[in-house]
Amino acid sequence: MGKIIEVKDLTFHYPDQKEPLFDQLSLSIERGQWVAIIGHNGSGKSTLVRIIDGLLAPQAGTIFVDGMPVTPENIWQIREKIGMVFQNPDNQFVSADVEGDVAFGMENLGLDRDVMKYRVDQALRKVNMEDFKGHDPSRLSGGQKQRVAIAGVLTLRPDVIIFDEATSMLDPEGRQDIIKLMTKLHKKGYTLISITHNIDEAAMADRVCVIDDGKIAADSSPAEIFAQEKELIAMGLDVPYSERLKDELLHNGIEVPHEYLTEKGMVDWLCKLHSKN
Amino acid sequence: MQITFEKLGFTYQPGTPLAFTALKDVSFTIAEHSYTAIVGHTGSGKSTLIQHLNGLLKPTTGTVQIGEQVITSATSNKDLNKLRRKVGYVFQFPEAQLFEETVLKDIEFAPLNFGYSPKEARQIAIEQAQAVQLPTDVWEKSPFELSGGQMRRVAIAGILAMKPEVLVLDEPTAGLDPQGSREIMSLFQRLHQEQGLTIVLVTHNMNDVADYADHVVVLEKGTVVGDGQPREIFADPQWLTDHHLGLPQTTAFAYQLQQRGFVFTEGLPLTEKQLAHELAMMLKGGNNQ
Repeated sequence: MGKIIEVKDLTFHYPDQKEPLFDQLSLSIERGQWVAIIGHNGSGKSTLVRIIDGLLAPQAGTIFVDGMPVTPENIWQIREKIGMVFQNPDNQFVSADVEGDVAFGMENLGLDRDVMKYRVDQALRKVNMEDFKGHDPSRLSGGQKQRVAIAGVLTLRPDVIIFDEATSMLDPEGRQDIIKLMTKLHKKGYTLISITHNIDEAAMADRVCVIDDGKIAADSSPAEIFAQEKELIAMGLDVPYSERLKDELLHNGIEVPHEYLTEKGMVDWLCKLHSKN
Repeated sequence: MQITFEKLGFTYQPGTPLAFTALKDVSFTIAEHSYTAIVGHTGSGKSTLIQHLNGLLKPTTGTVQIGEQVITSATSNKDLNKLRRKVGYVFQFPEAQLFEETVLKDIEFAPLNFGYSPKEARQIAIEQAQAVQLPTDVWEKSPFELSGGQMRRVAIAGILAMKPEVLVLDEPTAGLDPQGSREIMSLFQRLHQEQGLTIVLVTHNMNDVADYADHVVVLEKGTVVGDGQPREIFADPQWLTDHHLGLPQTTAFAYQLQQRGFVFTEGLPLTEKQLAHELAMMLKGGNNQ
């Protein structure tokens, strides 16, 4: 497997701010892993992924993508390995039809027309949008727009896909739709990084990193992270529903298990308790 | 101020090949001092509907009555101006409208335009900055130096400075982190309770509907398909799924329990407090037998 991304002793300081945003931050991500990065607004989640993609340059520290250091000389090779999907799909459209839009990223690669057509069709199939080839992207639903944006990224054959709050502007249906698609891409072997406030999205990841105060404040499985409810609230995050309900049950004098339960686990536990009475 | 929609219809670009009917035969009432949530799938007509509340759109057919004022297709634009002082409208991403050099200057823009003296306008701006809990050390800063959540508060304070009686909120927490969302929602809750503001909330977030609203209107394809109290609207999970609407987390959770044999005598609960209380009664009740 090996490490696809390695960040070592990263220091980053926005020029107009008093304090550095990151002070000797280190993080490594295995190939094929799905990592959710969570943290309150302003904690530096988006800055971190922009540094990994070479969009921002750090003051100190090294970043390796697939074994290659991120430097001005390597930057184009690095960006071929990383695809980014942003928050607002409307800001990403350039073409009058879906097909043209998905192809846009490839225009600079000097590929044959046939190859481009093949990759567009393949990418649209992967995101289940093959029936919308000729549609005007601005008239699609939010979830469909994000799927088109993801298809555009897939045509470039990246190893890593970064979702920067890609589900936050979608309605609940659109959000579930994109989370499902992310699960599918994960199974196909892509390395995924989701920056998110959404607990359902983070729960699907292999690993959750909490960024706070310029550091990785916690780095563990979703179950372990979600069991630390109070800390999560303090960092401005949402708490999984089952943990909030456990808290309320405690207030009502009901003993609850300490370990993290998924919603289904919580239903099972309550049913067991109920049947004993 | 009570708001009544009476057989409201709205068509974009009527009489052209691009004519699109966004609303038809919409009738319902928003009671004074209520907290009304308007929900519906993307494209159901929610935004078109609420743009009638401060005269951004005029009905194609039917009427909207807001307080004493009745608006029809024939209402002049000049008459709509009166409405704009009574109905404050918080657009999606309202911070995109900030433009002044300092926070207080931005907030006092509307009162100055409505003819208050600079001194009075400054006074109003300070009151509203306090109402939205902006710390004093940011008052003289540029609004563009603030965090997303604080910028949004500045924009909201600017709207409150018009002293509206009705506050219309279009997805007011979009793009905020959970902490920022909670703070903004409790701010509106406080304005509703302390100042008696009538609130009209457009949202996809059913948890907010469950936690704050006392009245829910469900739109689909431009018509009203549901109108009642939250507990009535959320009583039938299947109906909501059929209309592409989610459930509040608690209701969805309680529904799973119901299917496994739990009985909720007063309908499915809406908040985790209610659910925990009802569960405790069932579980403890059993122990005493």
